[in-house]
Amino acid sequence: MKNKLITGLLLLALVQIYVPLSMIIKRENVLKSGEQFKFRTVPVDPFDAFRGRYVALRIEGDHVTKQGAQDFEKGRSVYAIIEVDDQGFARFDSITLSRPIGKAYIAAKTGYPSGGKVYLELPFDRYYMEEKAAPAAEAAYRQHSQQGKLDAYIVVRVKDGFAVIESLYVGGQRIEDAVKQAGKK
Amino acid sequence: MNKMAIKWLYQELPGLVAKGILTQEIAGKIREYYGEVKSVSKTTTMLIILGTIGALLIGLGIILLLAHNWEQFSRFTRAILSFAPLVIGQILALWVLWKRPDSAAFKEGGATFLSLMVGASIALVCQTYNIPGDAGTFVLSWMLLIAPIVYLMQATLPAAIYLIGITVWAGTYWNDPLKAVIFWPLAAVIIPHFIWSLREELYVLRSIILSFVLIICASIGSSFSLGKTWDGAWIIIFPSLYSIFYFLGNLDSDKITVNWQRPMRLIGAIGLFVLAFIFTFKEVWKIGTGYSYGITRHISDLSAVPDHIISLSIVAVSMLLFYDFVKRKNITVCLFGAVPLIAIIGYFLKGSTGILPIIIFNVYLLFLSVLRITSGIRNNSLGIVNSGMLMLAILIIARFFDSDISFVMKGLVFIIVGIGFLATNMALARRLGGAK
Repeated sequence: MKNKLITGLLLLALVQIYVPLSMIIKRENVLKSGEQFKFRTVPVDPFDAFRGRYVALRIEGDHVTKQGAQDFEKGRSVYAIIEVDDQGFARFDSITLSRPIGKAYIAAKTGYPSGGKVYLELPFDRYYMEEKAAPAAEAAYRQHSQQGKLDAYIVVRVKDGFAVIESLYVGGQRIEDAVKQAGKK
Repeated sequence: MNKMAIKWLYQELPGLVAKGILTQEIAGKIREYYGEVKSVSKTTTMLIILGTIGALLIGLGIILLLAHNWEQFSRFTRAILSFAPLVIGQILALWVLWKRPDSAAFKEGGATFLSLMVGASIALVCQTYNIPGDAGTFVLSWMLLIAPIVYLMQATLPAAIYLIGITVWAGTYWNDPLKAVIFWPLAAVIIPHFIWSLREELYVLRSIILSFVLIICASIGSSFSLGKTWDGAWIIIFPSLYSIFYFLGNLDSDKITVNWQRPMRLIGAIGLFVLAFIFTFKEVWKIGTGYSYGITRHISDLSAVPDHIISLSIVAVSMLLFYDFVKRKNITVCLFGAVPLIAIIGYFLKGSTGILPIIIFNVYLLFLSVLRITSGIRNNSLGIVNSGMLMLAILIIARFFDSDISFVMKGLVFIIVGIGFLATNMALARRLGGAK
């Protein structure tokens, strides 16, 4: 009985390690070999009891304009095809139900359609930061936006529809550096 | 049989023999019948409690430390860090099973710590890779990874954590009943452990805590997952659910226990009374019957089937238990447990005004509280009399607030009810004093 329980616990331990490990490997792979895109964003600072403080990201181009015949109800799994504008920022061109070939895309869920637009629930909605840094990051962004420069964006790596955030930039600087600089002033 | 009662009996036996009420032989037979009380010493209990609280605090502390998000660490360091607390928890748990397989304190503490570390590990990975804020998926994967710990280490606190976790998970799908309904099979995973803990020892801290958590999670879980397929289904589902608790808590009712040791009976009874009381208001039958938890879009067709199956099973179990208690001729329990039956009748008789169910429930509660008062007086129990009077007072006060009766009348009725309370108590106190 004792040995059975120990074997059981050992097997469970392996599964318990496997789950976070597979999460890490999948994302490391995308970060290493995924295609890079920049999305304009608005960061605000909230808080999660388990995972810590983060800046919530409101992605500017998180919608596509509705295409005539296709009505998407909320919660459909779709593929959002990425296009890059002349300033080098990414936004979504269209959504399809089948996996696109030869184009960069992100697997996402549709939100409520409104005003002829279909909003997307994207797989990047938060950027975790150090406890004290997250509110400072929001302040740094607000300072920038007051000066009329709305230039926050995230760099995302995308591979086979799976997206991982690389970093968050405010005023052309990585947010961590921007916060450090603001701290020095 | 309650251990405390047997202990008390054994303490009394020598005195009874000395006074010649029992012979030595009969005293011996009594001991033989009840068997030895395997006594858990106070120190062991303290060890279990302190050990578990310690493990809980350390575990939560580690989660908070990791939540600080140490950004000077590289992604690789963080990856290693994600596994460190998990592996420590696992080694600790393995050590406990290897070296201290019989120590409840070590098993409970080690299992609790490991359960928390699984969450810490996944949380840190989510943090490092900015994984989206889908709380449901995070909690569910955590809970599925700790459920086996409950059985491998016979630990109850992880079971409680699991129940709370799946309730939170169901909550994230409150507007998607088809997903939320999976709460029930997930909760069923804990039932064998629950039965085991009851068998091991009834009315001890372990089974009491688990009962409390189970009742609360099942109540919240049903509001997330059930009654969304037809209007006002809650009027039947919730009384049935609480009556199940109440009936189960009343099984083996010959045991000597206090209320808090029987959370099923206590919460079941309170829930039934509160529901019956709510059902005496006209708003419930006018508006409440059209209420299905803020969901505008009703689910129907095939997707409604799981909801129907579980709701109907709850009602069926409630009715079977009711029938069982009717067969046992346990009138007091039956009367209290009749709320779901009356609610079903009320639901079908409600018409457009809901007048009939309101009258039925007012009469029912009046009858129930008066019966409780008289049975309390008969059994010389102040507690039962007062709870009956409290029920009566709540009913009367409510009626006088929602009707168009003048202040003078209301005032007089309050005074009369108050005098009634005092008079009954005094009479009963005198009688109890006289009995001595």
